[in-house]
Amino acid sequence: MKIRLNPIVKKDLQVTVRSMRMSWGLFAYEAALTIAFLVALAFIQDAASYSYSDNIYSYLIYLFPVVAVAQVCIVALYVPIITASSISGEKERQTFDIMLTTCMSPFAIVFGKVISAVLRIIFFVIASTPIMALSFVVGGLSWSYLFYYLLAVILFSVFAGSIGIFASAFCRKSVAALLLSFVIYFVIFVLTFVPPIYRSVFAGGGYGESAGESMLPLLWNPVVFFEEFFSQMMTGNSIMATLRDSLDRDEVGILTYVLARGKVWMFTSAGCILLLSFLFMALAAWKVNPMHAGSGRRRGKKKVD
Amino acid sequence: MLYINDMSKRYGSFTAVNHLSLHIPEGDLFGFVGPNGAGKTTTIRIVCGLLRASEGSVRIGGTTAAVGSKEMKRLIGYVPDFFGVYDNLKVREYMDMYGSMYGMYSRDIAKLTDDLLELVNLTDKKEVYVDTLSRGMKQRLCVARALLHNPRLLILDEPNSGLDPRARVEMKELLKNLHSMGKTIVISSHILSELSEMCNSIGIMNHGQLVTAGLIEDIMQQLAGGSRIHIRIVSEVEPAVRILKEQANVTVESVRENELIITHRGTDSEISALIGYLIQNQVVLTDFHREEGNLESLFMQLTGGAQ
Repeated sequence: MKIRLNPIVKKDLQVTVRSMRMSWGLFAYEAALTIAFLVALAFIQDAASYSYSDNIYSYLIYLFPVVAVAQVCIVALYVPIITASSISGEKERQTFDIMLTTCMSPFAIVFGKVISAVLRIIFFVIASTPIMALSFVVGGLSWSYLFYYLLAVILFSVFAGSIGIFASAFCRKSVAALLLSFVIYFVIFVLTFVPPIYRSVFAGGGYGESAGESMLPLLWNPVVFFEEFFSQMMTGNSIMATLRDSLDRDEVGILTYVLARGKVWMFTSAGCILLLSFLFMALAAWKVNPMHAGSGRRRGKKKVD
Repeated sequence: MLYINDMSKRYGSFTAVNHLSLHIPEGDLFGFVGPNGAGKTTTIRIVCGLLRASEGSVRIGGTTAAVGSKEMKRLIGYVPDFFGVYDNLKVREYMDMYGSMYGMYSRDIAKLTDDLLELVNLTDKKEVYVDTLSRGMKQRLCVARALLHNPRLLILDEPNSGLDPRARVEMKELLKNLHSMGKTIVISSHILSELSEMCNSIGIMNHGQLVTAGLIEDIMQQLAGGSRIHIRIVSEVEPAVRILKEQANVTVESVRENELIITHRGTDSEISALIGYLIQNQVVLTDFHREEGNLESLFMQLTGGAQ
């Protein structure tokens, strides 16, 4: 049986790898990670010199989260830049209509766009493995964590890519799509903290109260996911479980109590993020499908001939 | 081949296409004519599955598949009026990408690409980057791309817009060639002289409505109220005029020194009988021909001069 590569992925990779932008992008990515690594190393050495212990290696474990967070931040910024222009760029280039007249379904087009962005990120992540590996070697983390970390970055790039493609499907211009992507980021990354903060500060009756079930929107927040992921990797403990253990069941709320056990929160959060990604992709596919009700209204206005 | 039944497209209160019904037979080279805003592109986009009709239906061949379905898409090859290309993509790769989008395998696409590039005269450009091709070459490449999956219906929206005269001639020859191969082709264009040279039938749209459609000669004849015939005579003109005036289905339009222009409202066999009758009555003819249709005058007449 022959395995067919999505034609969009194949084309995007062909076009991308031949462009100078890819080379410069890779250079900038590696340079940013190297700088993050060196700056973190300098801070750690400085911190170690003031400590009572001569063993600098106990501090080097912190190299990993610094470099990893730098990498995740670059991915968070870079993926929407790629995907936000993917559909709106095709529309601007006037190649999208031809694509829609082929046998590819709108979802296959959208999925292909996200996958090609994820593959580009995988190129970058693999190219940066030696730098990441340094923080593992000197930081004393297991090689298997590097693999888990790669999976987490892939998950996050699918998520960021799906937001970019969603924005791209709803905006005619790439710049508007990019802005919309960051607005969605803001809603997911920042506004999901509002219910638990509001509950614990204002509605709960005082400082130290549990946020209860209002914590649940944080399952969709990649910031909390990565916080939990790094905590699990470096300390073997769950932040959510620590929170849970300090409060009783009724205060925490039953769902949060069940989810904040061991690695349950982390895996549930990964599932929620993946689900949300597919939702964004499905909405993007629905939007670009000319056959759904109300579509083509704006396209039709462009030219009625 | 293409059946459009009572199709309308509305944008709020604006009606772009108004109850359009049209049948294009298999093997036709059909020209879609109309002034700007007549609804040609909207109609084409609906047929290609790029827009949803507000009402009505579209059917191709014997299929009952819905517009926009995979089955329907396999039957149509679409060449838009303007399309961009990708940087850093070669002609061969461009064809491979679109072939893959129709579920074809690379080996089959490679074979077909060779044949199609030969057909559109781009064989030597196979390894050239698409964005370096001229506008005319890109347009021909787009036709080759639209033919990759061997569609039964080829739809071209303003294929000659923006092309230089040479590229237009090449495109015209290509389309004639495809027509001779039996492809059903629908072309929307503003360049009426070219359409009249290429197409065997036309449809004229105005304000979202189909004003008329059919074979060009039939439409001309309908509008003129018969065939306009030029007769050149070397003998006396008066006897010929007298004979012609006696015919019930003939109107003498003009009489010059040795040329008559008449309108004949009969069939071809009645016209040939008339020639015989004139000769029998000692009228010496050196020329007897039907006036060629002028699509531009027909278009102006039907659309009230709007363009």
